[in-house]
Amino acid sequence: MKLSGGRILMESLLENQTDLIFGYPGGAIMPIYDALYDYKDKLKHVLVRHEQGAAHAAEGYARLSGKVGVCFATSGPGATNLVTGIADAMMDSVPLVCITGQVYANLLGTDAFQETDMIGVTTPITKWNYQITKPDEVAETIAKAFYIARTGRPGPVLIDITKNAQIEKADFKYPQKISIPSFKLPGKPNDNLVKQAAKLINNAQKPFLIAGHGVIISKAFNQLKTLAQKADIPVASTLLGLSAIPSSHPLSMGILGMHGKYSTNVLTNQADVIIAVGMRFDDRVTGRLSEYAKQAKIIHIDIDASEINKNTIANVAINADAKSALEALIPKISKNEHTSWLSEFNRLDQIEFEKVTTKELTPQNNKIKMAQVVNMLSDKTKGRAVVVADVGQHQMVTARYFKFQKNNSFLTSGGAGTMGYALPAAIGAKMAQPQTEVIAIIGDGSFQMTIQELATIAQEGIAIKIIILNNKFLGMVRQWQDLFFDKRYSFVDLKNPDFVAVAKGFYIYGEKVTSYSDLEKAIERLLKAKKSYLLEVEVEKETNVFPMVPAGASVEEVRLE
Amino acid sequence: MNITITIYSENKPGVLYRIANLFLRRKVNIESLTVSEIKSEDRSRFTIVVKEDLSLVAKIAKQLERIIEVSSVEIHTDNELIFKDAALIKISKNPKVVKKLDSIISLLKASIAYQNDKYIIIEKLGTEEDIDLLVSTLEPFVKETVKSGRIALPKNGQ
Repeated sequence: MKLSGGRILMESLLENQTDLIFGYPGGAIMPIYDALYDYKDKLKHVLVRHEQGAAHAAEGYARLSGKVGVCFATSGPGATNLVTGIADAMMDSVPLVCITGQVYANLLGTDAFQETDMIGVTTPITKWNYQITKPDEVAETIAKAFYIARTGRPGPVLIDITKNAQIEKADFKYPQKISIPSFKLPGKPNDNLVKQAAKLINNAQKPFLIAGHGVIISKAFNQLKTLAQKADIPVASTLLGLSAIPSSHPLSMGILGMHGKYSTNVLTNQADVIIAVGMRFDDRVTGRLSEYAKQAKIIHIDIDASEINKNTIANVAINADAKSALEALIPKISKNEHTSWLSEFNRLDQIEFEKVTTKELTPQNNKIKMAQVVNMLSDKTKGRAVVVADVGQHQMVTARYFKFQKNNSFLTSGGAGTMGYALPAAIGAKMAQPQTEVIAIIGDGSFQMTIQELATIAQEGIAIKIIILNNKFLGMVRQWQDLFFDKRYSFVDLKNPDFVAVAKGFYIYGEKVTSYSDLEKAIERLLKAKKSYLLEVEVEKETNVFPMVPAGASVEEVRLE
Repeated sequence: MNITITIYSENKPGVLYRIANLFLRRKVNIESLTVSEIKSEDRSRFTIVVKEDLSLVAKIAKQLERIIEVSSVEIHTDNELIFKDAALIKISKNPKVVKKLDSIISLLKASIAYQNDKYIIIEKLGTEEDIDLLVSTLEPFVKETVKSGRIALPKNGQ
């Protein structure tokens, strides 16, 4: 049966269980959209208002549905608008298949209207990319694209399809088997290395587990908990590892790294064995590398061989996915107790509580602090909502104060630090889990980067709860200018629009609170709302997020003020 | 230190671009590059020489292996390899050099690839140093020299 390239694409998406596409049409992708018109009942399409929103929404969808996120964009500016989202997905290992339209094959390389070399542009920020110029390439390429995006360490794939390949017809036969001879599948955990790791753990006096995003991606929640409980090991999380273990678990020590906890940072440099699971020793985690955990033996579990020994040298490296590595490890681990080591965490937590947390949470005047909002939200939702945080101070405060009780319930842009991530990502998250309360926590600066997606929310009629923590500053940059640039506040002041009025213009209703005494009731109204609701909270203008490991400092130099 | 990186990949367009991109990201200059087809397997072999620390090159090698089309990457120091460059040297047909040419090319293991009334083109396979020595010996008469990238095979192992 001969089908147009556009129809072959639709059939191939269905073969991959795609049911939702985020996209934006335009000239060079019109034949694909024409094919989509006939598949409307099987392939839902969400019309975003900017292609960056499509990529982030697809990321949110992928992270909460466990499927591959799909987005469509036209050639040229449509495709380049996807780039930030693709780079974000590459950094945070999110499986995406991005389809971009391209000019007719006979015009390639001629600077045709809306022609941009997307293979050239996206090569460094995709796991794989490919340009299709003939319809008979579509089925096999899409099969490969999905396989590559979701297999091993997940990541974004971009497929650029010339307009003629969308229109011309070819026989449709979906490949039963995908053959990529050079594709390197992660192996099984090596027995000998697992034994060595187990020996280190069993002999450790001060073992320390670090849970990264890999724990969440491989759904190794039970394995992580079992290992931690069996050997009585404290667990810290990277930013993207949050919600790998419930915050209320007695062995959960919270976040580490630049704005991590005092205890997790200081004790990183006292642990004798560090078991790093599905994380990549990012500079925001390690601080100054030359003084990072030099005393510790490091066991590094990662699915990506190129992460091993990239930043820190592992004593034992297990190149496998987190789940299979932990499963192999658990039977070899002896029951253990580390009471005095654990009490060190509690002791330092107490210091942090007195110096930072109480100050942040106790109302002093009627002004509102970011921490109070997040803490109250955490209590009111019992930590069971999905929280999507944008990038900046509010993100770090959310990471610190929300007590995640559900696995995989925190979405944020980790590696790339993409402002504007949260609103579109929340759209994808809500569409992946319509029954779950999805709350986007966004700074006033970040909100204005993708604010147009309010229209998408209104058009889809989905219920997303939006909290704007408004300090009328680009707060994190201001904090750095305060601490490291002699308070020279260079271009961080924001004269903001009336966010409630703006939202109302998009048919999303909400309110603004300015005093602490009104906060609780406002949060209750936000959570009770059946439709999308925006709560703008005017927070203290100049507060800094602590603890903080200043850039380039050692983790043990973590500052409390 | 010279490190030779041998990359085996699928024989497809665009692989060189992906490889070159990684060297750009790591700000490592490619001293020499040879790409050839392994016909029997429909694969390509890239032989790349860089002057860098082994530890950095080892990291780059692992990142190169992340490229979907790349099947494997090996790194070697010079003492682990037999390696050669090829060169073509065009000289003017001056009686002064013609007189000595037979002894030069037999001593320095080169040969004449082509000649006409005005020019002689000499071919030479050898290390960079061998080629440099030949060129400097012929120096005043050399019109143009072209050198290939390195080809290499490990003395042991695969």
